[in-house]
Amino acid sequence: MTNTQRSQRMKPTPISRRALVIAAVASIALVAGCAGPKTRYGDAGKVETVTNTFGSTDLQMLSEQMSQSMLTEAPAIAGGNLPIVTIQEVKNKTSEYIDTRAITNRMRATLQKSRRVRFAVDEADMKKQTGELQRQDSEYYKKEKSAQMGEMIGAGFRITGEITSIVKETKKVKDVYYQLFLSLTNIQTGIEEWSDTKEIRKTTER
Amino acid sequence: MKAATLIATLCVAIAMTGCGTKKGFEKPGFAFGCPVGDGKIGDMKDLVKIKSAKEGGRSADIELEEIRCTTTGDLLKIDVVLYNDESDVERLQYKFRWMDAEGMRAADEESWKPLLMYGNSRQTITTIAPNAKARDFRFIVMGQE
Repeated sequence: MTNTQRSQRMKPTPISRRALVIAAVASIALVAGCAGPKTRYGDAGKVETVTNTFGSTDLQMLSEQMSQSMLTEAPAIAGGNLPIVTIQEVKNKTSEYIDTRAITNRMRATLQKSRRVRFAVDEADMKKQTGELQRQDSEYYKKEKSAQMGEMIGAGFRITGEITSIVKETKKVKDVYYQLFLSLTNIQTGIEEWSDTKEIRKTTER
Repeated sequence: MKAATLIATLCVAIAMTGCGTKKGFEKPGFAFGCPVGDGKIGDMKDLVKIKSAKEGGRSADIELEEIRCTTTGDLLKIDVVLYNDESDVERLQYKFRWMDAEGMRAADEESWKPLLMYGNSRQTITTIAPNAKARDFRFIVMGQE
C-alpha cells in the first residue's frame, strides 16, 4: 500500500468529522458543567468540620449544653418558680470574631420553650422597647388601648459570661480550645446562683 | 403454733408482693425509669434496642450498654452509657429525638453532637428533655464522616 493510498484510507469521511465535532462540543459542555459551582441544601444540624475556627456545631453544642445545665442545676430555674431573667453581655475574649449574642439568643429560645424562664428586655433591646412605649404614649393612640408607661417588670436574675480560647499551632498541627463560662446572678442580692463552663477542643492536622 | 403459722404466712405474702413489683419501685409502663408503654422489657438489652437507633451510611462501632431515666421536676432526664470495646479511637455523633405522650414530635430536631471515644473506654451522656411535653425519646447515633 502506497502512502497516498494510506492517507486516503485514514482520511475521515464528512459524517465521521461531524460526529467528532459533536462529541467534542458535548465533552466541553460536560466538563464545563462539572467544573461549575453546585448548590444544594444541607442538614443545618450536621457536624461541621470545614475549618477549626468557631463554627455552627460549636454554637449549637455550647448553647444546648448551657441551657440544659441551667435547667437542671440553677435552683431559681429548676425550682419551677418561673423567674424573670435578663441577658447581659457575653464577652468574646478569643482572638477570632464570635457573635456571642447568637449563643445567648439560642439559649434564650431553648429556655423559653422549656416554659421555666421568662425573659425581661435586655440592654441591647431597651432602646427599641422604650421607643415603642413613648410612641404609644403619644396623642395618636387611645390611652385605654395602648401600653402604659411605668408598667415594665424588672428581671430578678441576670446572665453574663465570657468565651475564651487557647490556640496552639505548629507546622503540622493546629489545636484550638474554647471555654464558655456563664453565670446567673440574683440582681437583688448579688448572689451568684449558678455558673458553669463548657469546653470544646478541635485539632487540625495538615 | 397458730401464731407461728400466721407469721410465716405473712412473711411469704410480703416476700411475694416484693417480687411481683419489678425492682420494687418501677411504675407500670416504665423500665429502668424510662417510658416503654406496652413494650415488653426483659432486661437492659431490650430497653436499649427499643430506645436507640443507628442512622447514616457509616455506623458507629460502639456498644450501647445502658439507658437509664429519671425525672427532675417535670422534665425527663436520661443517662446513656456507651462502650468502645475496640482499642482504636471511635468518632461518632449523636442526638436525641423527643416525642410527647401520643408519639408526636415534642421538640425541634436536635443538632448532631460530635463525640470522641478512646479505645476500651466508657462514656456517659446525660441529657434533659427540652420541655415537659417530651415524655418519650430515641437515642440516635451515627459514625462521623
